[in-house]
Amino acid sequence: MKFSYFTLSVALRHLRYGVGQSLLTIGVVAISVLLIVYLRTVIGGTQVRIVNNVTGVIAHIVMEPAERTPIGAWRLPAEDRQALYVGETVKLPRALDKIDDWPQWVQALERDPQFTVVSPVATGNVFLFRSARRQAVRVTGVLPDRHDRIVNIESNLVEGRFLQLIAGEVVLGRKLADQIGIRLRDKLRLVGPGGQALSVTVGGIYQTGFGSLDEGQLFLTLRDAQSVLELGSSISNIALRVPEIFAAETIAERLAVRVPFRVRSWISDNPSIFSTLDAQNQTINLVLISTIVAAGFGIGSILIMSVTGKYREIGILKAMGATPPEIQSIFVIEGFLLAVLGCGVGIPAGIALLQALSRVRAPGPDGRIQSVFLIEIDPALLAAAAMVAVSVGVVAAFFPARRAAGIDPMEVIRGA
Amino acid sequence: MRGPPVIELRGVGKVYRTGEVETPVLFDISFPVQRGEFVAIVGGSGSGKTTLLNIMGLLDRPTSGQVLIEGEEASHLDELGRAQVRRERLGFIFQFHYLLPEFTVLENALMPCRMKGSDFEAAQEARMRQLLHTVGLGDKLRNRPGQLSGGQQQRVAVVRSLANSPALVLADEPTGNLDSRSGRVVFDLMRSLSRESGTTFIMVTHDDDFALEADRVIRIKDGHIQHLATGAGVAKATNPLRLAASNSPV
Ligand SMILES: Nc1ncnc2c1ncn2[C@@H]1O[C@H](COP(=O)(O)OP(=O)(O)O)[C@@H](O)[C@H]1O
Ligand SMILES: [Mg+2]
Repeated sequence: MKFSYFTLSVALRHLRYGVGQSLLTIGVVAISVLLIVYLRTVIGGTQVRIVNNVTGVIAHIVMEPAERTPIGAWRLPAEDRQALYVGETVKLPRALDKIDDWPQWVQALERDPQFTVVSPVATGNVFLFRSARRQAVRVTGVLPDRHDRIVNIESNLVEGRFLQLIAGEVVLGRKLADQIGIRLRDKLRLVGPGGQALSVTVGGIYQTGFGSLDEGQLFLTLRDAQSVLELGSSISNIALRVPEIFAAETIAERLAVRVPFRVRSWISDNPSIFSTLDAQNQTINLVLISTIVAAGFGIGSILIMSVTGKYREIGILKAMGATPPEIQSIFVIEGFLLAVLGCGVGIPAGIALLQALSRVRAPGPDGRIQSVFLIEIDPALLAAAAMVAVSVGVVAAFFPARRAAGIDPMEVIRGA
Repeated sequence: MRGPPVIELRGVGKVYRTGEVETPVLFDISFPVQRGEFVAIVGGSGSGKTTLLNIMGLLDRPTSGQVLIEGEEASHLDELGRAQVRRERLGFIFQFHYLLPEFTVLENALMPCRMKGSDFEAAQEARMRQLLHTVGLGDKLRNRPGQLSGGQQQRVAVVRSLANSPALVLADEPTGNLDSRSGRVVFDLMRSLSRESGTTFIMVTHDDDFALEADRVIRIKDGHIQHLATGAGVAKATNPLRLAASNSPV
């Protein structure tokens, strides 16, 4: 490639002279970039919302103590087949239902860049006593600043606080609060399965719109949960978040072989949602690939037309001493510029469209006004879309450019 | 003391091969052209004039023999090397002007300079403006080639051939596509520019009147040089061109 004054100025002049065609091609590239950005962001956001809606707000991956499960002899390696039942010989290195040296595990997981949030959780069922009423609820003891990044409570608070949760305080869903008729700063008594009692104050009330979270769930500090559930210093599981929800299962599988715990992902817990979303993703990818290919053909075909139309002028430039690499560069630069200009239009347009969509608000399933589209503009996605468009532009330009470079000036001189 | 000839052919032969068929076109052609000469090449259609000019312009390679440009063998350089020599030392004028429609008259004239970079182009701009004035296109500098007549376009091409101050300008029937009046204008221009700048011209032409005004006429017949006439001072009656022209098919 030769980016010289000569090649750049000729390429630019070609584009400017054929401004109609150039604008059309830039438009095609812009639309495909816009589609990439729009579909990936909006559908991606919608998928996250679907996943959240169906599964409740859950961790992407949960690491919990393995259960003692008999292993069928047929699943053993061939040399061990004499055994009929090996259940009793499975060695469980940990206590059955808790993780006791969790601070080390948390530390180890945090060092792994695959996990964006690592949150230790102590959870179990307790009875909640409020004057004469008694109700079974699930308590979840967490470190609020960590867990809020897995289950978004703070931003869904109706009143009170969550991140500054202190010992002796609980945070619960609006529906549960209404059911048992309690308000902020009311007192409750919790009694654990072992009979351990704990007096608590309502420190916050939230409404997420997710039934399982709003109805039967009570958050408290990790220490309080450990005490009411009589876990000592152990916890029940470690909740993890990964950057790419659809990679959760792969990451979970890889983690499972490295730790003496059971590791499950939201995908293995909800196989049908996943396969639906996966099909949806493949459809989107097909659409995106088609538009990118169309944009590539757009760039390629106007350059082919351009090379054909300028056959003589190119031949004469070569006769005057322009080298094949220079001629090739002129057209590759044209493809590159068309793609770059297409991105220059398509990416801001995509951002503007997404920002407009993110301001669209309507009542959600719980009647609260919320934004209709879950939109997070991802700079990496923008960069990737631009990279794809520019690479396609250069590749599409390559073949017409090579043809131009191969024009024989003698044929032009003779064939007039 | 004179330097080496601007161009010298030594035993140049050319055979075109199309599959099994061999077409010999040029046979053992040798002649030097000195600096500042204005040489006309004449000959019947299909006699090999364009082939010869393409070989001299390093656009084509001889099958045998050598082409020396300013004393250096150049015809066996690779493609990039030959492009380099063309860009640095040669100028071309063709029967059709082939100006770039996207560029103005001035930019077209400067195109060979543009290949050498923006500094060089800027340095030559005043000179090219002046040249375009000289050829009567001073008021057309910012026009596009499409807005010019055929003769005017060819004048731009003549000026363009001088842009990089070449040692040698090769012109293949530069007036062949023009009416006789425009053809005359273009030829006179080439002749006077050659005198003023001392640039060597080699011009293929069908027009005997133009050939007579050249310093030297090289006549080609069936791939051989038939006559070499040296010097415009040769008496017209004894000018070999006249003798040869009487049985010329043109
Ligand atoms: N690429 C080629 N392949 C085969 N024969 C060719 C080719 N180019 C030219 N010729 C032949 O060479 C001869 C000379 O052609 P040319 O140099 O164009 O003649 P002129 O310019 O004097 O009319 C002609 O007979 C022509 O048919
Ligand atoms: Mg010819």
